[in-house]
Amino acid sequence: MNTIKRITGIAILIAVFMMSNTNTFAQTLTGKQIMQKVKDRPDGDNRKSTMQMELINKRGKKRIRSFVSYSMDIGKDKKSIIFFKSPADVKGTGFLTWEYDDTNKDDDRWLYLPAMKKTRRISGTSAKKDYFMGSDFTYDDMGGRNIDEDIHKLLKVEKTDGYDCYKIVSKPIDPKDMYSKKISWIRRDCLVAHKVEYYDKMGNLLKTLTISNIKKIEGFWTAQKMHIVNHQTNHQTILLISETKYNIKIDETLFTVAKLEKGIF
Amino acid sequence: MKITKINEWFKKQASSIIKFRWLIIAVFLLAVVSSFFGVKKLVVEYSTDGYFLPDDPMIVMGDEFKEIFGNDSYVAVLVETDNLFTKNNLELLRELSNELLDSVPYADKLTSLTDVEFTVGNEYGMEIIQVVPEIIPSEKTALEEIRKRAYSKKNFAKKLLSKDGKYTWITMKLLNYPEQIEGKKLPDVEVGEKVEQIITQKKYEALHPRGTGMPYLNYKKANFFDAEGPKVIGLALLFAFIFLAFSTRSVRGVIVPILSTIGSVIIVFGAVGFLNIPIDGAILSVPIMLSIAISIGYSIHIFTFFKKHKRKTGKRKASIIFAMKETGWPLLFTGFTTIGALLSFIIIPIQSIRHIGLLTASNVLVILLTVMFLMPALLSFGKDTKPKNNTKRDAKPILAFQLEKFGIWILNYPKTIIVTSIIFAIVMIYGMTKVDAAFDIEQTMGRKIPYVKNLLEISETELGSLYSYDLMIEFPKEGMAKQPETLKKFDELTDYVNSFKLTKRTTTVLDIIKDMNQVLNEDNENYYKIPDNREQVAQMLLLYENAGGTEAEYWIDYEYKRLRMMIEVRSYNSKELNYENELLHKKAEELFPNARLSVVGIVPQFSKVIDYVVKGQINSFLIAIAIIAIMLMVVFGSIKTGLIGLTPNVAPALTVGGIMGYMGIPLDMMTVTIIPMILGLAVDDTIHFFNHGRLEFEKTGNYRKSIIKTFGTVGVALVLTTLILSANFLAYTTSIANMFIHIGVLTTAGMIAALLADFFITPILFKQFNIFGKEKK
Repeated sequence: MNTIKRITGIAILIAVFMMSNTNTFAQTLTGKQIMQKVKDRPDGDNRKSTMQMELINKRGKKRIRSFVSYSMDIGKDKKSIIFFKSPADVKGTGFLTWEYDDTNKDDDRWLYLPAMKKTRRISGTSAKKDYFMGSDFTYDDMGGRNIDEDIHKLLKVEKTDGYDCYKIVSKPIDPKDMYSKKISWIRRDCLVAHKVEYYDKMGNLLKTLTISNIKKIEGFWTAQKMHIVNHQTNHQTILLISETKYNIKIDETLFTVAKLEKGIF
Repeated sequence: MKITKINEWFKKQASSIIKFRWLIIAVFLLAVVSSFFGVKKLVVEYSTDGYFLPDDPMIVMGDEFKEIFGNDSYVAVLVETDNLFTKNNLELLRELSNELLDSVPYADKLTSLTDVEFTVGNEYGMEIIQVVPEIIPSEKTALEEIRKRAYSKKNFAKKLLSKDGKYTWITMKLLNYPEQIEGKKLPDVEVGEKVEQIITQKKYEALHPRGTGMPYLNYKKANFFDAEGPKVIGLALLFAFIFLAFSTRSVRGVIVPILSTIGSVIIVFGAVGFLNIPIDGAILSVPIMLSIAISIGYSIHIFTFFKKHKRKTGKRKASIIFAMKETGWPLLFTGFTTIGALLSFIIIPIQSIRHIGLLTASNVLVILLTVMFLMPALLSFGKDTKPKNNTKRDAKPILAFQLEKFGIWILNYPKTIIVTSIIFAIVMIYGMTKVDAAFDIEQTMGRKIPYVKNLLEISETELGSLYSYDLMIEFPKEGMAKQPETLKKFDELTDYVNSFKLTKRTTTVLDIIKDMNQVLNEDNENYYKIPDNREQVAQMLLLYENAGGTEAEYWIDYEYKRLRMMIEVRSYNSKELNYENELLHKKAEELFPNARLSVVGIVPQFSKVIDYVVKGQINSFLIAIAIIAIMLMVVFGSIKTGLIGLTPNVAPALTVGGIMGYMGIPLDMMTVTIIPMILGLAVDDTIHFFNHGRLEFEKTGNYRKSIIKTFGTVGVALVLTTLILSANFLAYTTSIANMFIHIGVLTTAGMIAALLADFFITPILFKQFNIFGKEKK
């Protein structure tokens, strides 16, 4: 009995200690820890969405592309596949990506071109700096970046556009990186970025990303609108995400070249 | 109205001027000091955009182009080494490329061997790689590998590398320039200056980098003319100084005209600065030189009469009143005819020429006011002296005496003179038919100028080009530009343009599409062609975009509605280029009957300028002649007198035109200004001659006597002013710039022709046509 009591007491103590520790922890979170939490935010094992990408140039002219996207986490890596629905002349074009958490390993990407019935693997030394499908998002911007590639510093906690946010500055370790720094406003309630500013090598503001329409879908915080503006080229991209579903019945075999060539199902 | 009456009026004004002399000096000083702030704001530009009026179709088309495809200006650097493919040279090349992209303002995209988009295809995939790896190897075999890769695609290599591997060509696209901010350097100059700073660093010595491209060229041009202009002006001022010292032999005679010249120039340039009117730097010296010449010419007229009277009477103020009485009216009148002739520039729809016309005309007006008000005011200070003995010998009476003798000789041989003049005119007219309008940098500027030499040498190498221009084809509907049939026709047009004599190379979106097709087909060169269906083109472009390709957007617009072709030319020959431009238009219209074509850039701009210059030359000449004729008719109260007065003034125009034809001096932005300007100046001689002739005729009633007397009096001033004007403009001939030499030679020749015509022809016409009425018996 005593033993039981003692154990219970210890357990309570541990629990209390852990709780208090958690509280203290929340108060003293470092920039890196917050970014890690953002990265680790639960988003299911896999997910499917319909996306519409509006590319708008400085003259206000639009290119609208829509596609279905599937993605899946495999350990720390991520695999995704998208199939174009429109415009008509690229319908059926598929794009497969394997993103690796290991910074020393280049991501793998394949594009399937139905008009030529050919799949081409795309690789490049500067792949991470590349823009996704002619948009203003680089692959890195879209979440492909490893936490350890930057030094993160929490500047302060402030209210922005009505949201309590962590304001964090992230400076790349690699001096050749395309940005000199990023400033992110991370919503404390859902750990989703509300706004990110990207600064170029010269320290000038290059782009601003605003994420809105953040909703809980199937228990997961989901961003439904991403709007990024390049202030230097006046080009902008609006990504509208809809029909998101989590933990659907798909397996890793979907994310292969064979499936890419087979097309949408 | 009789001349004597008009002169009386001027006499009265002169007395008032002396009375209010302090006020006049104060007003002048105030104007000069306040204008100083305006001079600081003066915008001097060297870009060709400044040639055109803001609503010119050329500018409208250019702006539309820039909005769609971005800035058509670029910077290029030619690198020359013994062998590019060494570790050291490649590293340096990369460093230079990075520095250019990072440090040059408005830098957008750089294409250099070390960081160019290079797509490689194989059976499984495609890769956009760097030809030169991030870490440059030092082993021979690895370097040889890089060389092989660079030359593996011939269409890629020929744009970047010379066949021998010694030269490489770096190009950098620029972002659109912002609106000009007051007090900030012109963007072109800013870009050019930075490029110069970078490429002249010691660390890049081994690369022998040489810059080109419009911003760099404009910067170098600005540098050259900013130094050359003041040099020529300084020399002209020195000539003026010496000449004034010699002819007036008085401290005040030198200082007063020079002060009023400088003051007038400051006032006018200050006003231009306040009004924010940009001035073309290359022709900026013209209004200043003209101001010096005119100011000194006018001053000499007043000073000659002032000195003559003062020598006789010793009375200072009375001498000023006398000088004003004698010269006031002809000065005012000559001033207005000159202004009228200069305003004829407004007919030419070239902004910088219009500005020069307005500027020179305003300068003449301010000088006229300064000379007529300030000069008497300044001369009036000082004591009276004792009258000097008239028999004392000095240069002027000798000159006057000789001129009178000359006048007699002329009156004795009217027929010989007329016949000789007609023969001379025919010879010159024949010469005029040989004049070519051209904008050839070698002809107008000359290889002696270092920056021109550099530019031409670069364009003569395997890679370098001189200028470029762009063709934009706009289709009626979105998406049409990426249809295979459109692209195939566009390819045909590109091949056609490449066959032109002056085309060095062309760049279009076809380079990318064809390359993608090759890459997607295992890098098989047989696939370096346009795909057959729409989907293939669209998907290739998507693949290209997704592989990180960004070059395409410079050549096909966002809505796939417009195609762009950049044509680089190896040399500039106005005629040939105009001809090629016509062929291009014809072919493009034939291939794309429903599309809208615009040709923009420096080459069509030059062609347009030539077009404007040729039409403008004829029109401005006719207008200047008409203005002068009307003024002469009004003033002399007779159509006959007006027309006769015009006759000798055709001589300088013929002389200038003839010399241009025989010496192969092209009609360009600079030379187009010469004839109207000379007309404006030459007519002064005629007016002085007529005016004095009429005055003498009113006194004597005898043509022979009045002509001889006129030679003795006004003749002296005419010889002196012509000499000073010629000496002044001859300062231009010391320059190494052909443009300046041309203006120096032509203006001098024109001035001398004007004087000779007034001396030889005017007296004969006087007598022949009894222009002032019948002789009294």
